[in-house]
Amino acid sequence: MKKVLLLLSLFVLSFALIGCEQDTREELIVGMEADYAPFNWMEMKKTSEYATKISGQPGYADGYDVVIAKYIADNLNRKLVIKAIEWDGLIISLQNGDIDLIVAGMSPTSERALEVDFSTPYYLSENVIIVRIDSPYANATSINDFGEAKVIAQKDTIQDDDEIYEQLVGSIRQTPLESYAAITQSLLSGVSDAFLAEMPVAKAVTGSNDKLIYLTFEEGNGFDILEENLQIAVALRKGNTDLVDEINAIIATITNEQKEQWMLGALERQSN
Amino acid sequence: MFIILSNSFFNKIAYLLENYYSIILYGLGITFLLSIVGTVGGFILSLSLTEIRLLKVDKKRDNRSVKMLKRSSLFVSNSYVTLMRGTPMIVQSMIIYYGIAGLKIFPWWNPLTAGLIIVTFNTTAYISEILRGGVESINVGQMEAGRTLGLTKRQTMRKIIWPQAIKNSLPAIGNEFVVNLKDTSVLSVISVVDLFFAVKQAAGKTYAYVEAFTIAAVIYLILTVSANFFIKHLERKVGQVQV
Repeated sequence: MKKVLLLLSLFVLSFALIGCEQDTREELIVGMEADYAPFNWMEMKKTSEYATKISGQPGYADGYDVVIAKYIADNLNRKLVIKAIEWDGLIISLQNGDIDLIVAGMSPTSERALEVDFSTPYYLSENVIIVRIDSPYANATSINDFGEAKVIAQKDTIQDDDEIYEQLVGSIRQTPLESYAAITQSLLSGVSDAFLAEMPVAKAVTGSNDKLIYLTFEEGNGFDILEENLQIAVALRKGNTDLVDEINAIIATITNEQKEQWMLGALERQSN
Repeated sequence: MFIILSNSFFNKIAYLLENYYSIILYGLGITFLLSIVGTVGGFILSLSLTEIRLLKVDKKRDNRSVKMLKRSSLFVSNSYVTLMRGTPMIVQSMIIYYGIAGLKIFPWWNPLTAGLIIVTFNTTAYISEILRGGVESINVGQMEAGRTLGLTKRQTMRKIIWPQAIKNSLPAIGNEFVVNLKDTSVLSVISVVDLFFAVKQAAGKTYAYVEAFTIAAVIYLILTVSANFFIKHLERKVGQVQV
């Protein structure tokens, strides 16, 4: 019995000692699904400098959202705490005060804006099309020029979407592939003619391959998607105007190049 | 179907198990905890609940206030059972967890404690129904015999009726445990990190959802099959000493 007590007290003491080294700054509790790559996902190990322990369960959160959340917390001089919450529970948890912010790849739609306040966007996705320089599609000026093109996208991205393919009238939808390295090969070998991608991916792929270029289209010739659906913003409790201002100021310090670099880093870590 | 037979399917399962075994084991532990606490806690609470539901209003002997008290207790306890059995646990979870979280009166209120309470309350209603059936299935002759031997009504219930009712109900209560093993997966809506939630998160990075849920299915099956095996064993044991 004495031994058990001794062990127990050692156990408690070790916790107390660990406690001493802890960050004592005010907590900034951020909610995300930890299930929406490349914005946020879960790792079992601290795989990057951004990976942050998820509160109340094993595992670390990583991804573009975690990078942004960490940046915001550091600039507010608060300690970042991440909670993994189901998508349906995020807004109600924010309203209940369980979390301070939602940084979860959430688009600031007008329906959601009735329930929560949104910061300025910390990410704006842009759909571009990557093609071979020598292909007939390289001179396309509109999404209507892709009739009969074999089009591919990365699996489970917002580009691999019915609505987007419907707008590429006449195109042939190919089975999506897992990694953009595989899609690049598919493009280069001629199996696919066009690759629907996010801007940072397009820059990375074309930057390392001089046989490929990406196409952007002028207003009216590109994809018709609501601007608010392309934006990603931080959600806050209604009426928290001081914090909204502070966070907007922090987001304003992030350059577009920095955002692209962070997104590219997240995509690379995700495919590792 | 092809996806299930392909080589990459097994590779992904291996990848998930290798990288995410710790969260899967953690989720398995939580599922087990929820089912055990829910079934044992539900059983204990349902004893009192069933006792209330078995109250009989004696029109001749009970005075007016006793009648009132009995009738209102019967109404409340029966309504509780109807409510808990008549609504899905997923709906109860959302209402109870977020409803109470919004009041901010319990600092210990988190998904896990809420989940334990929800599954216990839910199971209480189901086991109470099992026990009520168990008590009512005991021949009235037993009560008469007890009273003839000079025991009071309460003593007869406690020493003769209840032990037989509980013994006969054990397999059905065990079955509740099996149901809980599977049904606690709905608590993932309030972010309880049970087996279901754990494998879903494990799949998040690679979107290997079919593979992840196949792992979950196999684990759930192992759990329920072994629990069923245990219940069959219990049934045989109980059968041997049948009166």
